[in-house]
Amino acid sequence: MTTFKLTINGRDHPVDADESIPLLWVIRDTIGFTGTKYGCGMALCGSCTVLVDGEPSRSCQLMASSMVGKKITTIEGLAQDPALGQVAKKVQQVWNEKSVGQCGYCQSGQIIAATKLLSLNPKPTEDQINLAMDSYLCRCGTYMDIRRAIRTVAEELG
Amino acid sequence: MEKSGTSRRSAVKTSLGLVIGFHLHGMQKVMGATLEEKENFGSPHLANAFIKIGSDNTVTVVIHKLEMGQGVFTSLAQLLAEELECDWNQIRCEHSPVAPVYNHMFAPVQFVGGSSSVATSWVQLRKVGAMAREMLIQAAARRWKVPPKSCRAEKGVIYHPQKGSLAYGAVAASAQKEIPPDSLVLKDPSQFKVIGQSMPRIDAPVKSRGDAVYGMDLRVPGMVYGVLAQPPFGATLKTPVNLGPAKSVAGVVHAEVFGNLVAVVATSTYGAFKGREALELKWNLSSDPMTTTETQSQRFSQFFETPGTPVIKHPETLPNLKKAAKTIEAEFEFPWLAHASMEPLNCTVDFDGKKAKIWSAFQMPTSDRAAAAKALALAPEKIEMITTFAGGSFGRRASKTSEFVVNACLIAKSLRKPVKLVYSREDDMHGGFYRPYTKHRVKIALDAKAAPIAWHHQIVGQSVMLGSSFDAQVRKTGIDGGVVEGVQGTAYQLPAMSLDLHMPETPISSLWWRSVGHTHTAFVMETLLDQLAEAAQQDPLAFRRPLLSKNPRHLAVLDLLEKSSFWKEKPAAGRRFGLAIHESFNTVIGQVVEVSLGQDQKTPTIHRVDAAVHCGTVINPTNARSQVEGSIAFGLSACLFQELTFKQGQVKQRNYHDFPILKMSQMPQTRVFFVASQDPPTGLGEPGLPPIAPAVANGLYRLTQKRLTRLPLRLS
Repeated sequence: MTTFKLTINGRDHPVDADESIPLLWVIRDTIGFTGTKYGCGMALCGSCTVLVDGEPSRSCQLMASSMVGKKITTIEGLAQDPALGQVAKKVQQVWNEKSVGQCGYCQSGQIIAATKLLSLNPKPTEDQINLAMDSYLCRCGTYMDIRRAIRTVAEELG
Repeated sequence: MEKSGTSRRSAVKTSLGLVIGFHLHGMQKVMGATLEEKENFGSPHLANAFIKIGSDNTVTVVIHKLEMGQGVFTSLAQLLAEELECDWNQIRCEHSPVAPVYNHMFAPVQFVGGSSSVATSWVQLRKVGAMAREMLIQAAARRWKVPPKSCRAEKGVIYHPQKGSLAYGAVAASAQKEIPPDSLVLKDPSQFKVIGQSMPRIDAPVKSRGDAVYGMDLRVPGMVYGVLAQPPFGATLKTPVNLGPAKSVAGVVHAEVFGNLVAVVATSTYGAFKGREALELKWNLSSDPMTTTETQSQRFSQFFETPGTPVIKHPETLPNLKKAAKTIEAEFEFPWLAHASMEPLNCTVDFDGKKAKIWSAFQMPTSDRAAAAKALALAPEKIEMITTFAGGSFGRRASKTSEFVVNACLIAKSLRKPVKLVYSREDDMHGGFYRPYTKHRVKIALDAKAAPIAWHHQIVGQSVMLGSSFDAQVRKTGIDGGVVEGVQGTAYQLPAMSLDLHMPETPISSLWWRSVGHTHTAFVMETLLDQLAEAAQQDPLAFRRPLLSKNPRHLAVLDLLEKSSFWKEKPAAGRRFGLAIHESFNTVIGQVVEVSLGQDQKTPTIHRVDAAVHCGTVINPTNARSQVEGSIAFGLSACLFQELTFKQGQVKQRNYHDFPILKMSQMPQTRVFFVASQDPPTGLGEPGLPPIAPAVANGLYRLTQKRLTRLPLRLS
């Protein structure tokens, strides 16, 4: 066991945990931001995605104890993120208006990925959308709705 | 503790008591006069079963079906809101408890399945809405001392020409004492304001900000986390088991053997996983040939040589086969498939020895509660079932044995503290209920003009329904609709058709999987129809028309496909079109696909899909489209990638790398067209799936001249 401090959604959280524990389980079980989902545990599905210093990252593959001093943003804090919050609010609004999610379990990762894509590239092409979103799996198959929503956000942010 | 299916914010509001129950008073008497028994208003205990109106004018609709992505929170609320005349923005939804009033219209239990939620709630929830509206109007009229007929309701407000207006919240408490009129006239479709509109999903905001509570997210004070080691199929655990290595892992608080299962419990999910990893379990593996894929396949083929249970009999089938000028023969093979929902199975149980609370995403809460009651040795009434959102299900959470609930109960009973049983992705994939492995063999006799004169069809497939509440029916007839549906009851007028069924039982357990038997029967029927069209040298769409001439809904779908889809375009070089049409869950869907092959001449790309749908009244066009698109994605995963293989009962596949699901870049550009209709609504959660794989196979045939008869499709 080891004691360290994680900065999540702009607040410091003291953590007392196994040195090897993945960030995912600290976020979910210890701190309680359950919007970050466990889907595969192998970085295959993207449901556990969080921002680490602004980069979408698979929290199931990151050791929590190596995240000290980094800024972590989960889906719960995305709209208030200093860098990506404005785009995120728009993405979440369009996601709601267009009813993008179905079961919704993968959508935290989809929304974080779409937010990052649109903040880097406000007018993505279809190929760029496919490339940016390709490693975020959705078993309900909401891909057409995600594409339409990303195009709508691009137009509205225009 | 948070209430499932609601946001944290609204859960807080509820606990502050702002919501006043709106009781439908005298339900039984009124119901006896106006609604039939089968509409499930028999329970006197839950008179306010479906609606709660708060003094703040919020309308909480109690949803008696699991929200697992199919959109019932929104579509069922639309049915009720249409007649209630409330303000859509005031609507909230929550999952119902378990009670007879919430039973399925066609069964003495609560369940979600068969794409039946909207279809079977169509009359029920509109009547509930109308009843509540009339009671609210009567309460306002009584306060104003005017006749109810002089009042009208709109957007949650009751108006009178002289008296002014009263919001629903202001009369909700007194409306509880009102008795609704004996007869309720439901609106004509021309008056619909909510039905037929794409109301945004009610569950979208909580899901998009990460606040929705799924079973996996449950947190109960003092809770510990459990995982299970499960046996391969047909295997037994070698004893004694040394639990020491698990118990010495940091955070592990308990380890115990339950028959063939080993439970490890820790203070975190991660600790429980680590504890289980430390165990060195040994199994006596099964030597049954039915537990290994190759030998199972051989055994299944042997059944074709002996007669099975006749499902469709025709005296001319065999004589006509002998008269054939030409014969089409084909054998088809479909693998075991896992549901692979994004949220692995889980269940949380808090048991104090006298009563229990159980949280999970229940597709069949009545039977889940009965199974839990048995496991905990409690009366079912002593168990509170709390339904959370489901991160997908596709049939998996309608377990025939409720095993994920029972297993959680076993641990909770031993520990007497709240425990969340968590399945890893691998546990979920190995958890043991699959779309069953199935083979078909078909011989079709053609006359000299290439017209079919006999259709001889054999199916070998493990029953889906055996072991479920439909068990007795299957045992009595020897026929499981979940294996033969789509061949039995085909819409095509086929001459001299017979169908013969074998249902071998294997140690591997089967379950309904999105669209059940139609997952394979549509592939067989629709690829064979294309072969017949080719033999007749006709366009596949035109060829199907006369064979469907007695089915106006099928013809309407073909018309819409012909008019709206790209079927009549000329395919670009290296691309071809394929078509299929299939009815399931009373909905008819036709699809055309555009396919090509990669440079390796093996890897198909599906560029476009156009779908035409006849599902009666469309309740929510956006969600209807999403369900069809999602079913296409789900079907393409099975068509192109997925199969489970076994060696002595051990599943080879573990995770999404070797049991892939379709990715964004593989999703075809899809358009969905609906036949305009005012018929009652039919299913939509599943019917989009069956046509996609045969449409792809038919398109690939036009590219390669190869008839593929096995899923997933492989071009060698």
